[in-house]
Amino acid sequence: MNNTASVIKVRKVSKEFGATVALNKISFNVTKGEIVGFVGANGAGKTTTISTILGFIGVTSGVVELFGSKVLPPTAHKLHDRLGYAAGDMELPPKLTGYQYLSFVLHQSDGDHEERYADLCRRFKPQLEKKIGDLSRGNKQKIALIAAFVTDPELLILDEPTSGLDPVMQDVFLDLVRETQTEGKTVFMSSHYLNEVADVCSRVILMRDGVIIEDVSAKELLEKSGKFVRVETGYKATRPPKEVTDVKTEEANGITTLSFVFKGEAAEIQRWIASVKQLQDVEISEYNLEGAFKSMYKSDEEKTS
Amino acid sequence: MRSVYLKTLYDKRFFVLGWTIGFIALAALMTSFFPAMKTTGLDELVKNMPPAFKGLVGDLTLLQHFDTYLASQLFDIRVPLIAGIMAIMLGLGLSISEEENGVLRTITALRIGRISLLVQKWLAMVTIIIVSALGFLVGTYAVIPFISDATIGNDELSRLIMMTILIMTAYGTIPFAVAFASGRRSAATFVAIFVIIGGFILSTFGQAVDWLQDYEKLSLLHYFPAADIVTDGIKIGDVAVLGGLTFVLLVLAIVLFRRRDIA
Repeated sequence: MNNTASVIKVRKVSKEFGATVALNKISFNVTKGEIVGFVGANGAGKTTTISTILGFIGVTSGVVELFGSKVLPPTAHKLHDRLGYAAGDMELPPKLTGYQYLSFVLHQSDGDHEERYADLCRRFKPQLEKKIGDLSRGNKQKIALIAAFVTDPELLILDEPTSGLDPVMQDVFLDLVRETQTEGKTVFMSSHYLNEVADVCSRVILMRDGVIIEDVSAKELLEKSGKFVRVETGYKATRPPKEVTDVKTEEANGITTLSFVFKGEAAEIQRWIASVKQLQDVEISEYNLEGAFKSMYKSDEEKTS
Repeated sequence: MRSVYLKTLYDKRFFVLGWTIGFIALAALMTSFFPAMKTTGLDELVKNMPPAFKGLVGDLTLLQHFDTYLASQLFDIRVPLIAGIMAIMLGLGLSISEEENGVLRTITALRIGRISLLVQKWLAMVTIIIVSALGFLVGTYAVIPFISDATIGNDELSRLIMMTILIMTAYGTIPFAVAFASGRRSAATFVAIFVIIGGFILSTFGQAVDWLQDYEKLSLLHYFPAADIVTDGIKIGDVAVLGGLTFVLLVLAIVLFRRRDIA
């Protein structure tokens, strides 16, 4: 497999549950070495997409491929020794201890992973002797993440992987993801924590209502989403630039504050700022991914309504 | 913890222990009741009763000998019913419960094929059934030395235990297969309860109610004639029906489970 080969290939995939269309002809590729963020609101179709990639569920139409092989529920397990999977809402066998479960996972895989296992335990500090059913959500999640990483797989599929983890453990996880990329591994990760996605992902796929609405690099996403502009002025009747529709206006102590996202040319916003009367303060900053996500979602909603 | 089979046995260790102790106690109690039942004269009383009532209480002349007493009073109705309930609980517990709580997804995300998963779980179910059914053997043999006239051949008791294992496996496989095939607890529970309650009604009332007699063969209990097993041995036809039903259900479950969506 060369470096640009598709590790995950999703082609015109639809999934229907009765009358509900969960996925509507979605297509995307994930190539070797990429870290791809998969973002969308609850019910957007992220987990359904991941379920089709793992072969938990079949597709209504379209094709899902992993490592160049078609994913079908009866045979998907043959590809699972090359991937690791963890989900935020993942349920682990409650009657086993963490140690027993990880031992079970290791027995399903070829090779000696003792060193990797010891390293991951050192990083995550899991409670291995307790029954999983007695562990807190965060501690269960540590076991799930160790299980995903322990066999050193070529591909990691992570569905809300840091749910329940404390900030220190989130950092441990993100460091691990970065290391994984330097080793040439591939990561496909859905998350609600957009800063986390911005931090480690090279590409972001945005989903809404079973449709992919954006598939861009993280940098491109930020550029497309524009700049955040905040202006303070003593002139109450100040009007925002014409292109801007969503403006937040506040008034306090005779000062009017206008906040908005500007997506036009830099020269245009400079001209507008120069025209503002009784200008007190100006702030122009990069829009963060959280805002970008909401902005994309909103503009797509406007397009479709 | 190397395999799904061993993991399943480990998960169910307290279930096995509890039911095995229960079966030992039940067999021991029933064995210890033999002297009292033998001398009550109930068989004479029943001879004069209307056929409908006879159908409900069974043939009490069988109480005179320990082997037929054990077959008719322990294995004829009580064991299939109680062990059937246990097998149904087990079948449901090993199938739909793990899917409902999400553990099935976690396990199928590993390199474990669906057929292998289902077969390993089924084999674990059969192992648990065998271990717990041996409780009847232990309970009976534990009390026999203390009861006068209580003698039963090893082969007779072995035949009863073998057929108990077979009918329990069939009972357990019904909800197990329906749950794996459909992914629905309600369907699996409904079918299992229908089979066990329906079978009980058909077998107990079938002898007394004319129009039910034709349907008695639909009851699994029809293929577990405990008293006949002691006196005449195991009928190949009974083994074929119980074994065949189990096999067909298992194959259907494999075919449907390997293709369906896992919730």
